[in-house]
Amino acid sequence: MREIRIEPRRKFLVPVEAEGISPDVLAPLTLEEIGRIEVWEGNRRSVLSDLFALSGDDVPGEAADARILLSGDFSRVKRIGEKMTSGMIEAGGDVGMHAGNGMAGGEIEIAGRAGDWLGREMRGGKINVSGDAGDYVGAGYRGESCGMRGGEIRIEGSAGDYLGEHLCGGKITVLGDAGDFPGIANRGGVIVIGGNAHLPGAEMASGAITVFGRARVLPSYQYQETVEIDGQSLKKFLGDLVDGGKGELYVASMEA
Amino acid sequence: MIIEGGIVYDPRNGILGEEMEISIEDGRVVEESRDGDKIDARGMLVMPGGLDAHAHIAGAKVNTGRIMRPEDGRRGTEARTKLLRPQTGYTVPNCYAIGYRYARLGYTTAFEAATPILEARHTHEELEEIPIVDKGALTLFGNNWEVLECVRDGDLGKLAAFVAWGLRASRGYGVKVVNPGGGEAWGFGGNVKGIDDPVPNFDVTPRQIIRGLMRANEALGLPHSVHLHTNNLGKPGNYETTLETLRAVEDIAASRDRQVLHVTHMQFSAYGGTGWRDFESKAPEIADYFNRHQQFTMDMGQLIFGSATTMTADAPLEYGNARLLKAKWSNHDIELEESSGVVPLVYGRKMPINAIQWAIGLELALLTEDPWQMIMTTDHPNGGPFVNYPEVVALLMSRPKREEELKTLHELASKRSSLPSIEREMGWNDIAIVTRAGPAKILGLEEKGHLGMGADGDVSIYDIDPEKIDPSKDHEKVKAALSRAKYTIKGGEVVVRNGELVAVPQGKTYWVEASVPEDEAAKVRADLVDKFAKYYSIQISNYMVQDAYVTSPRIVRAGVI
Repeated sequence: MREIRIEPRRKFLVPVEAEGISPDVLAPLTLEEIGRIEVWEGNRRSVLSDLFALSGDDVPGEAADARILLSGDFSRVKRIGEKMTSGMIEAGGDVGMHAGNGMAGGEIEIAGRAGDWLGREMRGGKINVSGDAGDYVGAGYRGESCGMRGGEIRIEGSAGDYLGEHLCGGKITVLGDAGDFPGIANRGGVIVIGGNAHLPGAEMASGAITVFGRARVLPSYQYQETVEIDGQSLKKFLGDLVDGGKGELYVASMEA
Repeated sequence: MIIEGGIVYDPRNGILGEEMEISIEDGRVVEESRDGDKIDARGMLVMPGGLDAHAHIAGAKVNTGRIMRPEDGRRGTEARTKLLRPQTGYTVPNCYAIGYRYARLGYTTAFEAATPILEARHTHEELEEIPIVDKGALTLFGNNWEVLECVRDGDLGKLAAFVAWGLRASRGYGVKVVNPGGGEAWGFGGNVKGIDDPVPNFDVTPRQIIRGLMRANEALGLPHSVHLHTNNLGKPGNYETTLETLRAVEDIAASRDRQVLHVTHMQFSAYGGTGWRDFESKAPEIADYFNRHQQFTMDMGQLIFGSATTMTADAPLEYGNARLLKAKWSNHDIELEESSGVVPLVYGRKMPINAIQWAIGLELALLTEDPWQMIMTTDHPNGGPFVNYPEVVALLMSRPKREEELKTLHELASKRSSLPSIEREMGWNDIAIVTRAGPAKILGLEEKGHLGMGADGDVSIYDIDPEKIDPSKDHEKVKAALSRAKYTIKGGEVVVRNGELVAVPQGKTYWVEASVPEDEAAKVRADLVDKFAKYYSIQISNYMVQDAYVTSPRIVRAGVI
């Protein structure tokens, strides 16, 4: 497996748009060619080697055999792994907004925290975040009617607001808490939240949301029965009835 | 400038694929050009610049589409260059992109199809920002209170005076009528169900509105006829309403050498069936009627698979669309004039209704025998974006292409339409008529759509040799060549070379100044003072579009005195 190591040369004060950091783009190139890939730092056009130190194996190969290692602070670097279809990205620390944007395959492993819009409009593949993630995980960007359609996102920490907005498929698991409106306008995706959540499933048409912690349930959800999931007893609801939805909502403990 | 050696199609002047020279001087076609500029068009197809007679390209509802659809804006983004400004959008492109993309297709004129007078200033602000092409806007009259009252009172003189005033107030080019009476009824949550269904509170019927406006239009001798979006548009079984409407106006005669009524985006008005389950094409019935009635014209409103943004003054239709598709919906009330709606949607090849709609547009174009009665449009962006015109041309020219496409569609497209049995393949002369000469004649633009002496120096040149290529077999090449003009010449200036923009001049805006007798005009003014005082949210002095909003006007005179 070919290793490509990327490390910021300095701390970025404005966001860097680096959609080129993806196995599909980098794998067929030598390190020198990789260094010439265009990136934008704010409104300034630049090349990858100006902003990042590159090292690792120099022999071009297939994306599926590529492993991109990001060390240092990438919290202001946006669009890492955009539209990737295979291969692996491992970030040792935090990553910026729009990581795994529209990805169709491969894996992204983030040891730190992820910014907003993680895995937005994702089609396939896997993302794992050891820390927290920002708002709009797996959502559709402004105006889109579908967010994530396939693949899996796992967040070991907590997630921000609007988790999985406009989900049309795929699965999101959050071990910690989720913020406001997780699974809003869900159209067939699966969301599992280990901790607490606030007003899950607004405008849900189909799909399922499970909250193992405490949640405030919208009045437009209809109670069905109590069910047993993973040894825990949860209340099952159907909704969102304001939109004639048939989504399933499971909540362990109701917040008044 | 001299264009040498090209194979020229100029149907209006009877030139059907002859090798000839075209000279342009001071923006017009002349006998002989003095300057030495030469364009080598040997082995290429030369036609007058393309003319889009019906597209939604400027104004409030187009902008509403842009605001509602940030996701559409992200498709089709192109960064600015030294010459060009940034471009965004696919179904609702920004103003610059509209001008650039028309020019790349070899189109040099485009008309905005529906502008309420109240929002005409916005339309002109956007038209001013659309580069290269010449433009104009059709003004909405079909639900205007003053119109409804004149029709109710049978005061044709006052109606004509109001139409003239409305065209001036909006700097408009022609009379557009959308779901007459239905837009007004929508203000109360209703609609009209047919041409004899009375409009609430006004005691008039759509039949009377259409007849009244057509007679006013002809009394004024306007360059274009009434441009009608029929009642019940978009509903199964509506072909009967369409035919009933046409039969209701057979006795009205045109005052100029053109059609007496243009029925727009006919694809949406040629439906059979009692509901969506038995939905079917009635295009053959419509085309048959047109073949027997030469006084009417239509445009296709061809459907293009993929993303579209429907936008129309037919607000009840859009409410239905939004409910049916659970789509985003914008609804708008335009005071005493109209209502309107915007709904984005996606046309799918495997969706039975969409597949049949696609077939209907092509059936209409191919079964209407006289190409001068037909304009190629997609009702941009209702049926699909205008950048797909080359695809439509290829479909009209190639039966094998239609068969290939039909194989990818839902089977009902073949079963519920007559398209599979249609053998006709349009030739280059037909194409030059339905995209150039025809729309120019239908709009009444004397200097457009042809290359005779004195015509505008608008020419498109495509890298395709009509003598060597068989469009039936080589439809891919036809589509590719038409998608990127080799040259587009606008007013004698090369604006596109090798498919790339090389100059971005500002086009002109057409509008019609129609004169009327002073006593009729005075009656209209008295009515309007009352209406503005009682009902409008703005003053009449702030209502008229000022000259400053139309910086390069091309005024066409008409009227009764």
